[in-house]
Amino acid sequence: MNYCIATLLLSATLAAPALAQNSPLLIPPQLEKDLAARASDVTEVTLNKNMLAFASQFMHGKDDDDAATRHLIEGLDSIYVRDYEFDKEGQFSPDQIEQLRHSFQTPEWSAIVHEHERRSGESSDILVKMVNGENRGIFILSVEPRDISIVLILGPIRLDQLASLHGIGGLHGLADIEHDTRPRDRDKEKEKNKDKDKVKNKDKKDGDQ
Amino acid sequence: MRRFLWIPICFFALAVPVIVLAGGAQGGFDGVVSSIETRYHAHAARIPFLGLISLIARKSTHEGVGSIHVAQFDSFPADIDGSELNQIVEDKLGTGWERVIRETSHREGGEQTLIFMRPEGNRMGLFIVDKDRNELDVVQVSVDPRHLDENIDQYTHHHDSDRDESN
Repeated sequence: MNYCIATLLLSATLAAPALAQNSPLLIPPQLEKDLAARASDVTEVTLNKNMLAFASQFMHGKDDDDAATRHLIEGLDSIYVRDYEFDKEGQFSPDQIEQLRHSFQTPEWSAIVHEHERRSGESSDILVKMVNGENRGIFILSVEPRDISIVLILGPIRLDQLASLHGIGGLHGLADIEHDTRPRDRDKEKEKNKDKDKVKNKDKKDGDQ
Repeated sequence: MRRFLWIPICFFALAVPVIVLAGGAQGGFDGVVSSIETRYHAHAARIPFLGLISLIARKSTHEGVGSIHVAQFDSFPADIDGSELNQIVEDKLGTGWERVIRETSHREGGEQTLIFMRPEGNRMGLFIVDKDRNELDVVQVSVDPRHLDENIDQYTHHHDSDRDESN
Protein backbone atom coordinates (compact mmCIF):
# COMPACT_ATOMS: atom_id res chain seq x y z
CA MET A 1 0.00 0.00 0.00
CA ASN A 2 2.79 2.38 0.98
CA TYR A 3 4.58 1.43 -2.23
CA CYS A 4 1.49 2.43 -4.27
CA ILE A 5 1.20 5.81 -2.51
CA ALA A 6 4.90 6.46 -3.05
CA THR A 7 4.54 5.61 -6.76
CA LEU A 8 1.53 7.92 -7.10
CA LEU A 9 3.36 10.76 -5.35
CA LEU A 10 6.41 10.25 -7.57
CA SER A 11 4.24 10.25 -10.71
CA ALA A 12 2.50 13.43 -9.58
CA THR A 13 5.86 15.09 -8.88
CA LEU A 14 7.13 14.15 -12.32
CA ALA A 15 3.90 15.20 -14.02
CA ALA A 16 3.73 18.61 -12.34
CA PRO A 17 6.44 20.30 -14.44
CA ALA A 18 4.95 18.77 -17.58
CA LEU A 19 1.53 20.19 -16.70
CA ALA A 20 3.07 23.56 -15.87
CA GLN A 21 4.66 23.57 -19.33
CA ASN A 22 1.19 23.51 -20.86
CA SER A 23 0.90 27.20 -20.10
CA PRO A 24 4.37 28.59 -20.74
CA LEU A 25 3.00 31.98 -21.74
CA LEU A 26 2.76 32.80 -18.01
CA ILE A 27 -0.52 34.62 -18.64
CA PRO A 28 -3.62 33.33 -16.83
CA PRO A 29 -5.50 31.14 -19.36
CA GLN A 30 -8.83 32.65 -18.32
CA LEU A 31 -7.54 36.16 -19.08
CA GLU A 32 -6.34 34.97 -22.48
CA LYS A 33 -9.80 33.50 -23.16
CA ASP A 34 -11.59 36.67 -22.03
CA LEU A 35 -9.46 38.90 -24.25
CA ALA A 36 -9.84 36.56 -27.22
CA ALA A 37 -13.63 36.44 -26.75
CA ARG A 38 -13.97 40.24 -26.89
CA ALA A 39 -11.40 40.89 -29.62
CA SER A 40 -12.48 41.17 -33.23
CA ASP A 41 -9.13 39.87 -34.51
CA VAL A 42 -6.78 37.56 -32.64
CA THR A 43 -3.37 36.41 -33.82
CA GLU A 44 -1.45 33.74 -31.93
CA VAL A 45 2.04 32.66 -32.89
CA THR A 46 3.65 29.87 -30.88
CA LEU A 47 7.11 28.59 -31.69
CA ASN A 48 8.62 26.16 -29.22
CA LYS A 49 12.24 25.03 -29.04
CA ASN A 50 11.73 22.09 -31.43
CA MET A 51 10.15 24.29 -34.08
CA LEU A 52 12.75 27.04 -33.69
CA ALA A 53 15.61 24.53 -33.99
CA PHE A 54 13.92 22.97 -36.99
CA ALA A 55 13.23 26.32 -38.68
CA SER A 56 16.81 27.49 -38.11
CA GLN A 57 18.07 24.53 -40.20
CA PHE A 58 16.63 26.20 -43.25
CA MET A 59 18.23 29.59 -42.65
CA HIS A 60 21.38 29.45 -44.69
CA GLY A 61 22.04 33.05 -45.63
CA LYS A 62 25.47 33.90 -46.84
CA ASP A 63 26.27 36.98 -44.78
CA ASP A 64 27.32 37.21 -41.14
CA ASP A 65 23.97 38.72 -40.06
CA ASP A 66 22.04 35.67 -41.29
CA ALA A 67 24.45 33.34 -39.52
CA ALA A 68 24.06 35.36 -36.31
CA THR A 69 20.24 35.25 -36.61
CA ARG A 70 20.38 31.49 -37.15
CA HIS A 71 22.59 31.07 -34.11
CA LEU A 72 20.24 33.28 -32.07
CA ILE A 73 17.11 31.34 -33.10
CA GLU A 74 18.81 28.00 -32.42
CA GLY A 75 19.46 29.06 -28.84
CA LEU A 76 15.96 30.31 -28.06
CA ASP A 77 13.50 28.26 -26.02
CA SER A 78 10.28 29.70 -27.37
CA ILE A 79 8.58 32.66 -28.99
CA TYR A 80 5.00 33.61 -28.21
CA VAL A 81 3.07 36.41 -29.86
CA ARG A 82 -0.47 37.38 -29.01
CA ASP A 83 -2.20 40.25 -30.75
CA TYR A 84 -5.73 41.30 -29.88
CA GLU A 85 -7.51 43.92 -31.98
CA PHE A 86 -10.80 45.36 -30.80
CA ASP A 87 -13.59 47.00 -32.79
CA LYS A 88 -14.16 49.74 -30.26
CA GLU A 89 -12.54 51.21 -27.18
CA GLY A 90 -13.31 49.95 -23.68
CA GLN A 91 -13.38 46.26 -24.60
CA PHE A 92 -10.75 45.48 -21.98
CA SER A 93 -10.25 46.91 -18.53
CA PRO A 94 -7.14 48.45 -16.92
CA ASP A 95 -7.43 45.64 -14.34
CA GLN A 96 -6.89 43.05 -17.06
CA ILE A 97 -3.75 44.88 -18.22
CA GLU A 98 -2.58 45.03 -14.63
CA GLN A 99 -3.20 41.28 -14.39
CA LEU A 100 -0.98 40.78 -17.43
CA ARG A 101 1.79 42.82 -15.80
CA HIS A 102 1.28 41.02 -12.51
CA SER A 103 2.10 37.68 -14.19
CA PHE A 104 5.66 38.94 -14.65
CA GLN A 105 6.15 40.43 -11.21
CA THR A 106 8.65 37.84 -10.10
CA PRO A 107 12.25 38.35 -8.93
CA GLU A 108 13.55 37.01 -12.27
CA TRP A 109 11.75 39.65 -14.34
CA SER A 110 12.73 43.29 -14.15
CA ALA A 111 11.12 46.20 -15.97
CA ILE A 112 13.41 48.28 -18.11
CA VAL A 113 10.71 50.36 -19.80
CA HIS A 114 7.33 51.37 -18.44
CA GLU A 115 5.67 54.10 -20.41
CA HIS A 116 2.11 55.26 -19.91
CA GLU A 117 0.35 58.10 -21.72
CA ARG A 118 -2.71 59.15 -19.79
CA ARG A 119 -4.25 61.18 -22.61
CA SER A 120 -4.18 58.46 -25.24
CA GLY A 121 -4.36 55.51 -22.83
CA GLU A 122 -1.38 53.92 -24.54
CA SER A 123 1.26 52.08 -22.59
CA SER A 124 4.42 50.10 -23.29
CA ASP A 125 6.24 47.73 -20.99
CA ILE A 126 9.49 45.94 -21.64
CA LEU A 127 10.73 43.43 -19.10
CA VAL A 128 13.83 41.28 -19.20
CA LYS A 129 14.40 37.98 -17.45
CA MET A 130 17.77 37.71 -15.75
CA VAL A 131 19.08 34.40 -14.44
CA ASN A 132 22.55 34.39 -12.85
CA GLY A 133 23.33 37.69 -14.53
CA GLU A 134 22.42 36.43 -17.99
CA ASN A 135 19.52 37.52 -20.20
CA ARG A 136 17.05 34.65 -20.42
CA GLY A 137 13.99 36.32 -21.90
CA ILE A 138 12.17 39.43 -23.00
CA PHE A 139 8.53 40.34 -22.47
CA ILE A 140 6.95 43.20 -24.40
CA LEU A 141 3.47 44.48 -23.72
CA SER A 142 2.06 47.22 -25.89
CA VAL A 143 -1.40 48.52 -25.12
CA GLU A 144 -3.45 50.90 -27.23
CA PRO A 145 -7.15 51.72 -26.78
CA ARG A 146 -8.08 49.14 -29.44
CA ASP A 147 -5.07 46.88 -29.48
CA ILE A 148 -3.04 44.69 -27.14
CA SER A 149 0.22 43.15 -28.34
CA ILE A 150 2.16 40.66 -26.28
CA VAL A 151 5.56 39.29 -27.28
CA LEU A 152 7.33 36.80 -25.04
CA ILE A 153 10.71 35.46 -26.08
CA LEU A 154 12.32 32.92 -23.76
CA GLY A 155 15.98 32.04 -24.02
CA PRO A 156 19.26 33.90 -24.26
CA ILE A 157 18.48 37.13 -26.10
CA ARG A 158 19.45 40.76 -25.68
CA LEU A 159 17.35 43.76 -26.59
CA ASP A 160 19.73 44.78 -29.37
CA GLN A 161 19.13 41.38 -31.02
CA LEU A 162 15.37 41.89 -31.30
CA ALA A 163 15.66 43.60 -34.68
CA SER A 164 17.03 40.40 -36.24
CA LEU A 165 13.75 38.60 -35.42
CA HIS A 166 11.58 41.01 -37.43
CA GLY A 167 11.22 38.48 -40.24
CA ILE A 168 9.48 35.90 -38.05
CA GLY A 169 5.70 35.90 -38.50
CA GLY A 170 3.85 37.89 -35.89
CA LEU A 171 6.88 39.75 -34.61
CA HIS A 172 6.00 42.89 -36.54
CA GLY A 173 4.99 44.08 -33.06
CA LEU A 174 8.66 44.74 -32.45
CA ALA A 175 8.69 47.02 -35.47
CA ASP A 176 5.58 48.75 -34.11
CA ILE A 177 7.43 49.55 -30.92
CA GLU A 178 10.22 51.06 -33.00
CA HIS A 179 7.64 53.06 -34.96
CA ASP A 180 6.14 54.22 -31.68
CA THR A 181 9.43 55.76 -30.64
CA ARG A 182 10.20 57.34 -34.02
CA PRO A 183 7.39 59.95 -34.07
CA ARG A 184 8.49 61.06 -30.62
CA ASP A 185 12.02 61.58 -31.92
CA ARG A 186 10.56 63.47 -34.83
CA ASP A 187 8.50 65.63 -32.44
CA LYS A 188 11.63 66.37 -30.44
CA GLU A 189 13.44 67.41 -33.62
CA LYS A 190 10.49 69.59 -34.62
CA GLU A 191 10.55 71.28 -31.22
CA LYS A 192 14.29 71.83 -31.55
CA ASN A 193 13.82 73.35 -35.01
CA LYS A 194 11.02 75.56 -33.67
CA ASP A 195 13.33 76.85 -30.94
CA LYS A 196 16.03 77.50 -33.52
CA ASP A 197 13.55 79.39 -35.73
CA LYS A 198 12.42 81.48 -32.74
CA VAL A 199 16.04 82.42 -31.97
CA LYS A 200 16.63 83.28 -35.65
CA ASN A 201 13.48 85.44 -35.82
CA LYS A 202 14.49 87.24 -32.63
CA ASP A 203 17.96 87.91 -34.05
CA LYS A 204 16.37 89.21 -37.27
CA LYS A 205 13.99 91.50 -35.36
CA ASP A 206 16.86 92.82 -33.22
CA GLY A 207 18.89 93.42 -36.40
CA ASP A 208 16.00 95.33 -38.05
CA GLN A 209 15.58 97.56 -35.02
CA MET B 1 -13.70 -26.82 -20.90
CA ARG B 2 -11.56 -24.06 -19.45
CA ARG B 3 -9.38 -24.10 -22.57
CA PHE B 4 -12.44 -23.39 -24.76
CA LEU B 5 -13.42 -20.46 -22.57
CA TRP B 6 -10.14 -18.74 -23.46
CA ILE B 7 -10.94 -18.71 -27.20
CA PRO B 8 -13.82 -16.12 -27.07
CA ILE B 9 -11.90 -14.08 -24.49
CA CYS B 10 -8.85 -13.89 -26.79
CA PHE B 11 -11.09 -13.14 -29.76
CA PHE B 12 -12.69 -10.16 -27.97
CA ALA B 13 -9.31 -8.98 -26.70
CA LEU B 14 -8.02 -8.85 -30.28
CA ALA B 15 -11.24 -7.61 -31.91
CA VAL B 16 -11.86 -4.61 -29.66
CA PRO B 17 -8.70 -2.65 -30.58
CA VAL B 18 -9.23 -3.43 -34.27
CA ILE B 19 -12.80 -2.10 -34.15
CA VAL B 20 -11.72 1.00 -32.21
CA LEU B 21 -8.89 1.72 -34.65
CA ALA B 22 -11.07 1.16 -37.69
CA GLY B 23 -13.84 3.32 -36.28
CA GLY B 24 -13.10 6.62 -34.66
CA ALA B 25 -9.34 6.59 -34.33
CA GLN B 26 -8.55 7.56 -37.93
CA GLY B 27 -6.01 10.36 -37.74
CA GLY B 28 -4.03 12.63 -40.04
CA PHE B 29 -5.55 14.49 -42.95
CA ASP B 30 -8.46 12.08 -43.53
CA GLY B 31 -9.20 11.94 -39.80
CA VAL B 32 -9.41 15.73 -39.54
CA VAL B 33 -11.60 16.03 -42.66
CA SER B 34 -14.01 13.29 -41.59
CA SER B 35 -14.25 14.75 -38.06
CA ILE B 36 -15.10 18.18 -39.48
CA GLU B 37 -17.66 16.57 -41.80
CA THR B 38 -19.30 14.76 -38.88
CA ARG B 39 -19.27 17.68 -36.46
CA TYR B 40 -20.54 20.37 -38.85
CA HIS B 41 -22.72 18.14 -41.09
CA ALA B 42 -20.80 19.37 -44.12
CA HIS B 43 -19.40 17.49 -47.09
CA ALA B 44 -15.85 18.00 -48.29
CA ALA B 45 -15.10 18.10 -52.00
CA ARG B 46 -11.85 16.36 -52.84
CA ILE B 47 -9.92 17.20 -55.99
CA PRO B 48 -9.69 14.25 -58.40
CA PHE B 49 -6.25 12.97 -59.48
CA LEU B 50 -4.61 14.84 -56.63
CA GLY B 51 -2.00 12.10 -56.34
CA LEU B 52 -0.95 12.76 -59.93
CA ILE B 53 -1.02 16.53 -59.39
CA SER B 54 1.11 16.04 -56.28
CA LEU B 55 3.64 14.00 -58.28
CA ILE B 56 3.83 16.64 -61.02
CA ALA B 57 4.20 19.39 -58.41
CA ARG B 58 7.02 17.47 -56.77
CA LYS B 59 8.89 17.05 -60.07
CA SER B 60 8.27 20.57 -61.32
CA THR B 61 9.45 22.14 -58.06
CA HIS B 62 12.51 19.84 -57.91
CA GLU B 63 11.20 18.10 -54.76
CA GLY B 64 10.28 21.49 -53.28
CA VAL B 65 6.57 20.69 -52.79
CA GLY B 66 4.95 17.28 -52.50
CA SER B 67 2.37 15.08 -50.75
CA ILE B 68 -0.42 17.52 -51.43
CA HIS B 69 -3.81 16.85 -49.83
CA VAL B 70 -6.70 19.26 -50.34
CA ALA B 71 -10.29 19.19 -49.14
CA GLN B 72 -12.75 22.00 -49.72
CA PHE B 73 -15.98 22.60 -47.86
CA ASP B 74 -18.55 24.84 -49.56
CA SER B 75 -21.64 26.01 -47.67
CA PHE B 76 -19.86 25.63 -44.36
CA PRO B 77 -21.61 27.13 -41.30
CA ALA B 78 -20.35 30.70 -40.98
CA ASP B 79 -20.67 31.08 -37.24
CA ILE B 80 -18.63 28.39 -35.54
CA ASP B 81 -16.67 28.19 -32.31
CA GLY B 82 -13.03 28.64 -33.31
CA SER B 83 -11.75 26.94 -30.17
CA GLU B 84 -13.81 23.84 -30.96
CA LEU B 85 -12.50 23.69 -34.53
CA ASN B 86 -8.95 24.07 -33.21
CA GLN B 87 -9.55 21.26 -30.71
CA ILE B 88 -10.94 18.93 -33.39
CA VAL B 89 -7.89 19.50 -35.58
CA GLU B 90 -5.41 19.11 -32.69
CA ASP B 91 -7.08 15.90 -31.51
CA LYS B 92 -7.17 14.25 -34.91
CA LEU B 93 -3.92 15.43 -36.43
CA GLY B 94 -1.73 13.08 -34.45
CA THR B 95 1.67 13.34 -32.85
CA GLY B 96 4.48 15.56 -34.06
CA TRP B 97 2.28 18.41 -35.26
CA GLU B 98 2.61 21.74 -33.47
CA ARG B 99 0.28 24.65 -34.01
CA VAL B 100 2.42 27.67 -34.87
CA ILE B 101 -0.19 30.19 -35.99
CA ARG B 102 -3.82 30.72 -35.14
CA GLU B 103 -5.68 33.71 -36.51
CA THR B 104 -9.28 34.49 -35.71
CA SER B 105 -11.40 37.29 -37.03
CA HIS B 106 -15.00 37.88 -36.05
CA ARG B 107 -15.42 40.50 -38.76
CA GLU B 108 -17.43 39.83 -41.93
CA GLY B 109 -18.78 36.38 -41.20
CA GLY B 110 -15.83 35.04 -39.27
CA GLU B 111 -12.42 33.90 -40.42
CA GLN B 112 -10.24 31.20 -38.93
CA THR B 113 -6.72 30.20 -39.91
CA LEU B 114 -4.79 27.40 -38.27
CA ILE B 115 -1.26 26.51 -39.35
CA PHE B 116 0.46 23.43 -37.98
CA MET B 117 4.04 22.37 -38.64
CA ARG B 118 5.83 19.04 -38.34
CA PRO B 119 9.46 18.10 -39.01
CA GLU B 120 9.57 15.35 -41.66
CA GLY B 121 13.26 14.55 -41.86
CA ASN B 122 14.78 17.22 -44.10
CA ARG B 123 11.34 18.39 -45.09
CA MET B 124 8.66 20.40 -43.34
CA GLY B 125 5.07 19.24 -43.09
CA LEU B 126 2.46 21.98 -43.18
CA PHE B 127 -1.19 21.52 -42.28
CA ILE B 128 -3.43 24.49 -42.95
CA VAL B 129 -7.08 24.98 -42.09
CA ASP B 130 -8.54 28.17 -43.48
CA LYS B 131 -12.14 29.26 -43.02
CA ASP B 132 -13.47 32.32 -44.78
CA ARG B 133 -17.20 32.97 -44.34
CA ASN B 134 -18.96 29.89 -45.81
CA GLU B 135 -15.87 28.20 -47.21
CA LEU B 136 -13.37 26.05 -45.38
CA ASP B 137 -10.21 24.63 -46.93
CA VAL B 138 -7.98 21.95 -45.46
CA VAL B 139 -4.54 21.59 -47.02
CA GLN B 140 -1.64 19.36 -46.12
CA VAL B 141 1.64 19.70 -47.92
CA SER B 142 5.23 18.63 -47.47
CA VAL B 143 7.84 21.20 -48.46
CA ASP B 144 11.59 21.30 -48.69
CA PRO B 145 12.41 24.86 -47.64
CA ARG B 146 15.93 24.65 -49.14
CA HIS B 147 14.62 23.93 -52.63
CA LEU B 148 11.84 26.46 -52.28
CA ASP B 149 14.36 29.04 -51.13
CA GLU B 150 16.51 28.37 -54.20
CA ASN B 151 13.48 28.72 -56.48
CA ILE B 152 12.41 31.95 -54.80
CA ASP B 153 15.99 33.26 -55.04
CA GLN B 154 15.98 32.48 -58.76
CA TYR B 155 12.84 34.56 -59.28
CA THR B 156 14.13 37.34 -57.02
CA HIS B 157 17.35 37.62 -59.08
CA HIS B 158 15.28 37.57 -62.28
CA HIS B 159 13.07 40.34 -60.91
CA ASP B 160 16.14 42.36 -59.84
CA SER B 161 17.74 42.05 -63.29
CA ASP B 162 14.46 43.22 -64.90
CA ARG B 163 14.48 46.25 -62.65
CA ASP B 164 18.12 47.03 -63.49
CA GLU B 165 17.34 46.82 -67.20
CA SER B 166 14.40 49.21 -66.89
CA ASN B 167 16.66 51.72 -65.13
